[in-house]
Amino acid sequence: MTIGRDGITGLVLLAISLVLLVQSFQLPSLPIVPVGPGFYPAIVLSFMAAASALLVLQDLMKRAPVTAGAGDAPRRNYRLVVIAFAIVGCYVVLLPLVGFRLATVLFVGALQAALGRPRTSRQWAVLAAIALGTAAASYFIFERYLLVLLPRGAWTGF
Amino acid sequence: MLDLLWHGLVNVAQWKYLVPLFAGTFIGVIGGSLPGVTITMTVIVVLPFTYGLDPLAGLAAMTGVYVGGSTGGLIACCLLGIPGSPASIATTFDGFPMARNGEPGRAIWLGVWASVWGGLLGALFLVFLTGPLAAIALEFGPWEYFSLFVLAMAMVAGLTESSLLKGLISTAIGLLITVVGHDPIGSVPRFTFGSEFIGGGFPFLPVLIGIFAFAQIMTDLEKLNGPRGQAVEPLVGIRLERFSHLKVNLEIFKQPVLLGWATVVGLIIGILPAIGGSASSVMAYDQAKKFSKTPERFGKGHPEGIIASEASNNANVSGSLMTIMAFGIPGDAVTAVMLGAMTIHGIQSGPLFISQNPDLAYGIYAAYILAHPCMLLICVALMPLMLRVTSVRMAVLAPVVLVLCVVGAYALNNTMQSVYVLLLFGVVGYALVKLGFPLAPLILGLILGDQIEINLVRAIMTDANPWLFMTRPISGGLLAAAVLSVALAIWQHLRHQSRVAEEEPDF
Repeated sequence: MTIGRDGITGLVLLAISLVLLVQSFQLPSLPIVPVGPGFYPAIVLSFMAAASALLVLQDLMKRAPVTAGAGDAPRRNYRLVVIAFAIVGCYVVLLPLVGFRLATVLFVGALQAALGRPRTSRQWAVLAAIALGTAAASYFIFERYLLVLLPRGAWTGF
Repeated sequence: MLDLLWHGLVNVAQWKYLVPLFAGTFIGVIGGSLPGVTITMTVIVVLPFTYGLDPLAGLAAMTGVYVGGSTGGLIACCLLGIPGSPASIATTFDGFPMARNGEPGRAIWLGVWASVWGGLLGALFLVFLTGPLAAIALEFGPWEYFSLFVLAMAMVAGLTESSLLKGLISTAIGLLITVVGHDPIGSVPRFTFGSEFIGGGFPFLPVLIGIFAFAQIMTDLEKLNGPRGQAVEPLVGIRLERFSHLKVNLEIFKQPVLLGWATVVGLIIGILPAIGGSASSVMAYDQAKKFSKTPERFGKGHPEGIIASEASNNANVSGSLMTIMAFGIPGDAVTAVMLGAMTIHGIQSGPLFISQNPDLAYGIYAAYILAHPCMLLICVALMPLMLRVTSVRMAVLAPVVLVLCVVGAYALNNTMQSVYVLLLFGVVGYALVKLGFPLAPLILGLILGDQIEINLVRAIMTDANPWLFMTRPISGGLLAAAVLSVALAIWQHLRHQSRVAEEEPDF
């Protein structure tokens, strides 16, 4: 009997549910309301804990997976996903520091380059045009036309 | 009623509403025709543009996206053999074979016209049935509302393809997200761990955008630089053959029962909470095949398959709009975003929505009706562009969509906190998808969480007897239906497992 991915996920969710369930019992009750603020969360968390425990059980009782045919599954490019998340993370950090316009140019350019590296100078020019165009178009549409104030940079002042 | 509808049509025909409606429909058609870009993602992209608009203009734009997206998906179906959006999935079965048989124009235009007629038939139901449905909903007390929400969640969790347990856990995660922050009755902070960041709870739209958009885009990026996984050559950049629009319409109207039935199937699936267009398109296709005199021609370029799929997915939009307007429950993720947009403008949807906001309600009906001629006009005028748009690279699309997601989150209250929530739930959404958890139940839990709690506490405050949930006829009936729905899902799952066990050799 071995534990699989679903079993581990179930265990993590079970642990989270139980910790929060204990917290929900410690919430103060209110004099005018017959049920306290922890009443509803306790129902949700009990349900989640029960379902997570069942998921662990289901995983433990599952037959060993058949490995044949695993090679037919399409190859996944997880490296690209990690890079994309990292670039989005940098964008979110840079937004309040360098402002929307500069951060957006850098973000769109960097993510495009990461997803499909330009090889010729023409491709680099297209990449730069899309980065500048996206930042300029979204700035003008949102700030000038729709009056949505976009982030200003603490370092750059614009 | 008809004079209110006429007033709504005249109102939406003004430039200030017609331009957002037309623009939304155009973006919807383009978004729908891009493989990997769902209608939900398109409406998320359009969302920040609606913040600065009049509520009706914003909702008209979103209705346009919904109608346009439901049709746009068929172009990729017919030319690439993959659905542009999940709502068009069944169009692929006959649209692509017909296009490969040398009739791409007939395939696409059969789909476009079937969408128009299915959508307009759906509009009849939308206009005439939403009011009576809302009247039924007005009879509901907190017990009935609580039970209705439980039924909605049970149905969605039960319909998940992967695992019922994961569907239920996903629902619970959605509900759990809504309890973080101050409780709605006494404002006691819950699960905030003293943090100011989550003190006010997680704002709904950044969570929704993060979960849906990131899960979708990152899953698409995984497949980048890999094989397309297609056994046959796509038909990108081709020219459509000469054909007659009249002939295509006659072909559709020769099958009035098929058109009507596909519309009704789409409508019913749309009314049921959070099931979505893909189920309606597949179910209508399945029904068309069962009742057809020539079922053997399905899958080989049969026009009946295209008509059923496309009529139903556009009628599905009207069903979803009925649910949001009568009950305040989103019919699917697209209407969930619309519900969020309504909240931003301070509009409460639900049974009183039509009587309290008749201009807005009939404006939405009018926008839905007018979106169809707009969509037709866009398809006629811009078909050559749309034939090319299916080949736009993900490397260009992904950064632009992500920028609009960030703007959408930031512009909600002009703070970076919403952007951090967006990123946090982007990671959570992607992780859940990779672990095999369906997102639809989570989203429904997220939308209904507050309402479930408020109605539960309100019911207990009115009368502490918990048996009332079961003894009040409508509430009891809804709860029984919820139990039946879960039991049916378990039975189907067990039956499927035993079939698989019979087919698999025992090593």
